[in-house]
Amino acid sequence: MADGGVKVGIISCSGEEIPEGTISRMATRRVLELLRPGSTVTICLPLFLAGDGAERDFATKHPTITVDGCDKLCAKKGTEKHSGPVSAALVVSEILNGDCSGCARSARDRTEKDKEAVWLVSEEIAKAVDAILAESGGCVSEAGDDGAACACSKPIPGMEIQVDGKSVTIAGLALIFDHLAESGLAADESSGDRLLETVRIYHSIEPEEEDAYKAALISAYKTHRRV
Amino acid sequence: MPCSGIGKVHGLIAREATYLVTDELAPQEAETVCLALLVSGDEEARAKVREAECIAIDGCPKLCAAKNVEMAGGKVVKSIRVVDAFKDHRGAEPGTPTKLADDGWTIVREIAGDIADSMCGRCESEVNYDG
Repeated sequence: MADGGVKVGIISCSGEEIPEGTISRMATRRVLELLRPGSTVTICLPLFLAGDGAERDFATKHPTITVDGCDKLCAKKGTEKHSGPVSAALVVSEILNGDCSGCARSARDRTEKDKEAVWLVSEEIAKAVDAILAESGGCVSEAGDDGAACACSKPIPGMEIQVDGKSVTIAGLALIFDHLAESGLAADESSGDRLLETVRIYHSIEPEEEDAYKAALISAYKTHRRV
Repeated sequence: MPCSGIGKVHGLIAREATYLVTDELAPQEAETVCLALLVSGDEEARAKVREAECIAIDGCPKLCAAKNVEMAGGKVVKSIRVVDAFKDHRGAEPGTPTKLADDGWTIVREIAGDIADSMCGRCESEVNYDG
């Protein structure tokens, strides 16, 4: 990533009334923490009205993606009304084809269906981030040095693995392992393809590195599962 | 009305405290409205908060929930700051903006209980709360 560019902004509606609002919030957090840390920032939508004014520059300083729970498009409308035009507008209910029955508003009631919904939506957000970065030539900065960002995208810690004798750190690998374990992936040699397929969504792996990564990931997954 | 805060654990605590009140402690007496609806200028949402007595739960001192309710013409009868609840929990490890830890849930229950108690006083309704 080159210095001097801007990070992509993601603004979630976080609508409190409906499960889709909770999914928009959780999916946005997942992109900030796990899928695209370092290249994304967020801001609390209500700050556009309640803040000191600096927050209103957000959408002019960052190419911004809004994530709305429903077709009322509050995040999109609020951002365009108070900050600036958005680069992409995603709607949770559309991504999930309206199938949010069984999803919950509160974390106390969260089920596997909620987790899957968050995964689906977060991956759509990540694709939108990638499209914006591709258009801008991938020019993003590591420094969040403008006043509009609120330091919400602190990356989660990475896990170090040994790939062909070299140390490689993969952001959020522990969370990836936890999710795969919850989905029933066995901690043995048969897990290699699934581990590789999942990790490469978040971490670049060249074709010639696949075998080495597969072996390293199986070993690390076994250790993580204490097998 | 929680603040919709997404950057800190305080926002998640505000959100979960709201759900504890609206879903369990006082489902007949309380409901929530998407704060984003107010930000987008939705007339139906603005009318709703004008007709109700509002309790704002804000994660940080910027008080987004309370300010947005007041800007919409609503009456904030009680303004709660999650950061204030932490004063009684020095050294607490509440979790992250994504997931609450045990200390975070403890603070959620305290805030929700406070709200339920104050609602009891205001409407003389019986609210079941064993927290």
